Amino acid sequence: MKSNPPKLARRIFEWYCGHAKVEDLLGDMEEWFHKTAEAESPSIARRKYWRHVLSLLFSYAIRKRKQQVNPGVYSHTSFSVSMLKNYFIVSLRSLYRYRYFSVVNIIGLSLGMSLSLLIITMFAFVKTYDNFHENKDRIYRVTTAYEKGVEKYTMASSPALLAEKLKTNLSGIELVTRIATNFRGEAMFQDNTIPLQGYYVDPEFLSMFSFDLAMGNKASALQTPNSILLTETSARKLFGDESALGKTIEFAGKGSFEVTGILKNLPKNTHFDFESLLPYSAREVTHTGDVIQYQQPFAYGLEFVYMLVKDKDQLPTIASYLDKIAGDVSAVSDATVDYELQPLTGINPGPDMIMMTGGFRQWDYTGFYIFGTICLLILLPACFNYTNISLARALKRAKEIGLRKTMGSARSQIFFQFIAETILVTTVSLVGALLLFFLIRGEFKSMIVFGDSLDLSIRGDTLLLLLVFAIVTGCIAGFAPAIFFAKLNPIQALKSQTSRRVFSGMSLRKGLSIFQFMLSFGFIVALIVFTRQYRYTMSYDFGFQKENVLDVELNGVDPNLFLSEYSKLSTVTSISFSDKVLGLYPVGDHSWMQVESKPDSLPVDGMFVDEKYINQFGLEFLAGKNFPGESWTHEQYMIVNETFLKTFGIASPLDAVGQIVRVDKQDLQIIGVVKDFQYATLHWPVKSFAFRMDPSRYNYAYLKVSFSDAYAGITEMETLWKTLGNQKRFHAAFLDTEIEGSFQNYTTLLKVIGYLGMLAISISLLGMLGMVVYTSETRTKEVGIRKVLGASVAGIAFILSKDYLKLMGWAFVLAIPIAFFVINKMLSSMQYYSVHLTVWDFLLGILTLVVLGISTISAQTIKTASANPAETLKTE
Amino acid sequence: MAVYYLGEFEELVLLTVAFLGDEAYGVSIQQDIETRCKRTISIGALHSTITRLEEKGYLKSWMGGATTQRGGRRKRYFEVTQAGKKAVTESKQLRDELWSLSKIKLAAIK
Repeated sequence: MKSNPPKLARRIFEWYCGHAKVEDLLGDMEEWFHKTAEAESPSIARRKYWRHVLSLLFSYAIRKRKQQVNPGVYSHTSFSVSMLKNYFIVSLRSLYRYRYFSVVNIIGLSLGMSLSLLIITMFAFVKTYDNFHENKDRIYRVTTAYEKGVEKYTMASSPALLAEKLKTNLSGIELVTRIATNFRGEAMFQDNTIPLQGYYVDPEFLSMFSFDLAMGNKASALQTPNSILLTETSARKLFGDESALGKTIEFAGKGSFEVTGILKNLPKNTHFDFESLLPYSAREVTHTGDVIQYQQPFAYGLEFVYMLVKDKDQLPTIASYLDKIAGDVSAVSDATVDYELQPLTGINPGPDMIMMTGGFRQWDYTGFYIFGTICLLILLPACFNYTNISLARALKRAKEIGLRKTMGSARSQIFFQFIAETILVTTVSLVGALLLFFLIRGEFKSMIVFGDSLDLSIRGDTLLLLLVFAIVTGCIAGFAPAIFFAKLNPIQALKSQTSRRVFSGMSLRKGLSIFQFMLSFGFIVALIVFTRQYRYTMSYDFGFQKENVLDVELNGVDPNLFLSEYSKLSTVTSISFSDKVLGLYPVGDHSWMQVESKPDSLPVDGMFVDEKYINQFGLEFLAGKNFPGESWTHEQYMIVNETFLKTFGIASPLDAVGQIVRVDKQDLQIIGVVKDFQYATLHWPVKSFAFRMDPSRYNYAYLKVSFSDAYAGITEMETLWKTLGNQKRFHAAFLDTEIEGSFQNYTTLLKVIGYLGMLAISISLLGMLGMVVYTSETRTKEVGIRKVLGASVAGIAFILSKDYLKLMGWAFVLAIPIAFFVINKMLSSMQYYSVHLTVWDFLLGILTLVVLGISTISAQTIKTASANPAETLKTE
Repeated sequence: MAVYYLGEFEELVLLTVAFLGDEAYGVSIQQDIETRCKRTISIGALHSTITRLEEKGYLKSWMGGATTQRGGRRKRYFEVTQAGKKAVTESKQLRDELWSLSKIKLAAIK
């Protein structure tokens, strides 16, 4: 069989040599190839061919031959400085001469690039996560992959028991530390109380990670079980300016701890997020080390194992040891678990894992992908604009290119000239984008989780990255025009015959414009719908009175004592109690009830309240009456809602009263039926619900208040709280504010859609403006002739804008089904009770975009249309 | 002397071209040098040297006719120019002179 030389190698060689005469060299190499293939083997021959190609690519022979082929007098294959200078000057001149288009391009690109700067700086910062640890390359975390039927999790946590096994059974590990992130407490010092969060860790934690102590000794700090380390900030919160070292902090229900060290504040770029460190031995161990707990992935949900390996060569040994344990665990349980090693520096940015919330900061790839896609959706249209306008204006530059080509410019040179010109534009736009970036940075940080821990400042290395970004953007935006100019036929170009060919790219340009309008339209409709949704949510009738109600956490205070003390306050008009917050019901917390005479037990949501509750919230009775006021001895009654009747098939409220319901092994009698009300957030549908009465279950007090000065009123209550002899802090909130707080994400969403929409719309309008200015310039004569023949100003303005309106029309047709699908999906996933998309949303969207579009271009079209034909026809 | 400077490899290439006569082209030159000197040379180095020799005017080249092997590609044949001949001659004379003047017996080792 006859074999042939490797194609790729030949292609590379041919590509590199370009027009240089290398026929003989190719022939020589092929001859060698056949010789070797015959004498030895085809594979050796192929390798030899590659070697020949590489050897020649870097040889003087090829360089020389390439130099020889250039036909032009002024031409060089390698870029000379003077040529680059010439490109630069010509670029600047043309940017200056067509100022209008330059400004349109630069503004558009600045807008488009501004968003991308956020993700670039963010990614650059997250990349630096945990790179300050001295041992960063040798620290690994054990993660768990858990699979049981369809349930599948990747957890950042792993059983703390592994730590012991790893330490004793493997020699390749230098240090191991367990971490439990679930320390929460109310720290008390003298009369100051602050909520404090922290980790339980082994003493090795401090030597493994490079967290410095401001005070105290790393070696001894965590040795005694009741020691605690505080960060500088939390120490200042608790102790003020006093020195904290050696002081004793009380934790309600957890005992006292001695401050044995002060940690310097954590750097922002670490995935650890703690205010205090406690020895692992202080952790209340709820389960002991048997195999059972391995089977329950959430039993060790907040336990983490980190290790410092002696040498990376040890990793396979450690991994296979972990595999063995995982195998043993999987064998005795019905789930498959797998323990894996994750490098410390691979945590952020890293894969999405559960158990990272509450104690860690996670930046997973998924988030970056989504955000990146959005950035591209904004950036690419801006690049399209540039491409569009440059292609359309090709005629103006064609003469220059024709001349350059006649004088001996190679295609590649023209190509690079235009790419360089575009890069010049994008670099200028980068400055504009940076200005916008500084404006939106703060808002962006406040919107995202852990945003305050982001450092989005521009440093040397990020600036370099941004320059690279500008260059890449330039390459994307300038690619099509550069190719176009490079291919230009000099004869046609010099005879000004290019216009016909330019418009061969018309369908591409139309497609790009339609895409831009679709995007703008989508954002406008989304903004309209979500504003409606926001209003709808804020004014939703929950079915109970939530104004002027203050809910106070009892925190173990006796309700009777609370009632008698707080009734004395003049600002309080009535007080009632319950176990949950109305309007923010924790969905999923239900009990199983069975109505007498019906066979099925069904889940029913419910709350324990006192007899004043229902009236205080203004719930409406459909039948029956409230809980009796006499003193409570045991549970006897319940009050249900309408849906309860429907669920259990009870015909009317009157029928329901008196029925017996079996729940929690006792029989309760329905004594009242209330109208349905929204006891959970709007994300959930109203289901069957039952009020029951049991004073021992009360967690919250509801105070109907009439404050003239809310601040003074609450301060008064706080003072009163301290006399009740409870060590916990006074927690009170207005119910309506609290409920509104659960819709906070709407304001964020609206801001995001608003900003993105603003960008998308401005970019598409700028693109349209650029195109209209260009077409009206080129059609001046046509307009003049039309006017002479009797066309009206309005008619001409219409002719000039109708192409764009047509494109918009297409965009609407294409965008409506997509927007309908996407927005509906978003609405239904956001909350159960939501607005629905209507024709009006779309009509309003169309109207907005058309009005915006027409007002953008009308100035230009009317100007062109009303020009005096005598003038325009005279001038060339 | 300074007018005609030849490097060792350049001289080798010139002489090989001279030896090969009408059949001096890339592959034959490389093969001859490799077998005669028992050393491998890279194709890039060979052609760079040839290029430099052409620049100095010691070699000239022309394209041969179409071939049936090597994908139908033509060969580039090389020939030593008058200047090239002069250069090798001078180089040889210099060596001969030094040989004859040598105070020790150089040719002894066989």
